[in-house]
Amino acid sequence: MHTDGNAIAGVLEEVFARDVTATDRVCQSCRARRAIGAHRLFRGAGMVLRCPACGDIAAAIVAVEQGYAVSIRGTWLFK
Amino acid sequence: MAFTRGFRGRRSDVDPARLPPGQYETKDFPVLSAGPTPHTPLDEWTFTIDGAVGASRRWSWEDFTALPAETLTVDIHCVTKWSKFDTTWTGVPVSALVEGTSPSGEHVVAWSDGGYTTNLPLADVLDGKAWIAHRYGGEPLDPEHGGPARLLVPHLYFWKSAKWVRGLTITEHDEPGFWEGYGYHNHGDPWKEQRYWSD
Amino acid sequence: MSWRHAAIAEVRPETAHAKTLVLDVDGWPGHRAGQHVDIRLTAEDGYQAQRSYSIASAPESPRLELTVERIEDGEVSTYLVDEARAGDEFELRGPIGGYFVWHAGLDGPLVLVAGGSGLVPLVAMLRHRRAARDMTDARLLLSARTADDVLYRDELAALGAGDVAVRLTLTRAAAPPPEFPEAWTRRIDRAMLEELGPAPGTGARIYVCGPTPFVEEAARLLVELGHDARSVRTERFGPTGG
Repeated sequence: MHTDGNAIAGVLEEVFARDVTATDRVCQSCRARRAIGAHRLFRGAGMVLRCPACGDIAAAIVAVEQGYAVSIRGTWLFK
Repeated sequence: MAFTRGFRGRRSDVDPARLPPGQYETKDFPVLSAGPTPHTPLDEWTFTIDGAVGASRRWSWEDFTALPAETLTVDIHCVTKWSKFDTTWTGVPVSALVEGTSPSGEHVVAWSDGGYTTNLPLADVLDGKAWIAHRYGGEPLDPEHGGPARLLVPHLYFWKSAKWVRGLTITEHDEPGFWEGYGYHNHGDPWKEQRYWSD
Repeated sequence: MSWRHAAIAEVRPETAHAKTLVLDVDGWPGHRAGQHVDIRLTAEDGYQAQRSYSIASAPESPRLELTVERIEDGEVSTYLVDEARAGDEFELRGPIGGYFVWHAGLDGPLVLVAGGSGLVPLVAMLRHRRAARDMTDARLLLSARTADDVLYRDELAALGAGDVAVRLTLTRAAAPPPEFPEAWTRRIDRAMLEELGPAPGTGARIYVCGPTPFVEEAARLLVELGHDARSVRTERFGPTGG
C-alpha cells in the first residue's frame, strides 16, 4: 500500500530547503512527466518514491543519524 | 519543551536484555515495503539457488512446501527501531537448500519478485541462521508480510529478510543489494547497531 | 524548516471518532489552504513518533486548527483523540506542501472530492474561499461511511444551502440523512462524479483526498470522464508503517 509524495513533503523540504511537491520529474525509464506530489510513496526500511506511470524508482531516502541519504533518479525540473 | 504529557506510544514493558541498542518493542507487526505487493501465482512460483555453484537447484511451490520445515520462535529487529518479540515462523532451513549445490562463492544475493535484493555473507544464512519461511503464526504467510515465502534471517536487521524471495544467487564478490546501495549498512547486525553506511 | 513549539488551546469534538485541535504555534508564518503540518510527540523516555495532519483552518483564521480522526490502534491518533487536552504541547513543523494547494483568485471551477478524513484539507479550501469572499464555482463530493462520520456536518449543510454544491455519498447507510436528502448510499462511481460536474473542458481545478484506494478510484473515474489528468491533484492518506 502506498501514499504519495505529499506524505514526505516535510522530509523533502528539509533536504531541498524548499517545497518540491509541485516540482515535475521526467522519469528515466518511461519519460512520463509528473509532479513529485503525484509520485507513489512506499515506506520500507526507508522511503521509496516511484514514478506513478511505470513504477520505477524516483528517489530512495534513508533517515540516517546526521540527516538523510538521498538517492535521486530521473530529471527533476526545478523552477 | 521536554516531552508531551501522557504520550507513551505503542510500546510495552520489556526485558532490556532482549532489546538491541536503540530499539523499542512493539506488539504490532508493521507492514513496510519498498514497492507494491507482488502476486505471483503459486503455479508459476519457483525458488532457485544458482550463481557461483557447482549445480544450481530449483523447486516448484509444490516441491518446496513438501520439503522438511522447521518451526521456530524468534525476535525480529527492524532498522526503523521497532523490535517484535516471539514471532513464530515455519520454513525450510537455507542450509538444506544450499546443500548439494557446491557453492564456490562466499557471498549471497537474495532476490525477490518486484526487484528487491539484499546481500549477505553465505555464512550468515547457513548453520541454523536462516530459513525460507512460508508460514507465520501457524498460518500461510500473508502477501503483505512477504508471502508466499520470504527469507528469514533473525540475527540481522529485518531488511535482510527479503519478502517475496524467489532465489539466492551465490556470488564470488559482495554485491550490495537495494537498501545497502541506498544508505543502509552492508552487514546490519542489530547488536552492533550497524544501521547506516557510516556505522 | 525547523520544529516549532505548539500548544493546544482548545479541543473541539467533531464526531464520535474525531476532534479538532486548536493550536497556538510559536512564530507560525501562515499557510495556504491544502497544506499540512508534521507533528512530533516525545515520550518521557525520549521515544518519538511523528505524523502528518492536514490543516483544517483557513489561512485567515486566527489560530491553526487540525482535525484528527482516531484510527483503531493508531499510536498517535489515539493519543490525540482520547488523551490530549488544552495545555498539552508538542512540536510542529510547516506549513508543508505546494502541490496540493488552492487559493482564491485562481481561475476555473473548484472541484473537491473527499473520502472520509480526506475532507480536512478540502474544507480548508472552502473556508478560505468564504473568508476571501471568493465567488469561484465550487463543488464538493464527500464519501463517508455513515452520517455520524461526516466531519463538519452542520458547516457542510450550510455551505450546501449557500453557494457551494455539496454532494454526499454514504457507503454504510441505508438511507440519506435529513440534512442531505439527495445523498447517495453507495461507493463513489462515475455517475456521481458526472452529476457533480462540471463537464470536462471548463478548466476545473480538481482536488481528490482520502485513503489511497479511494483516491485512485476517484482519479481514474475523473480521467475516464474526460478531465485532463494534469488538472486532477491528489493527496493519499495511508498507514505510516509503524
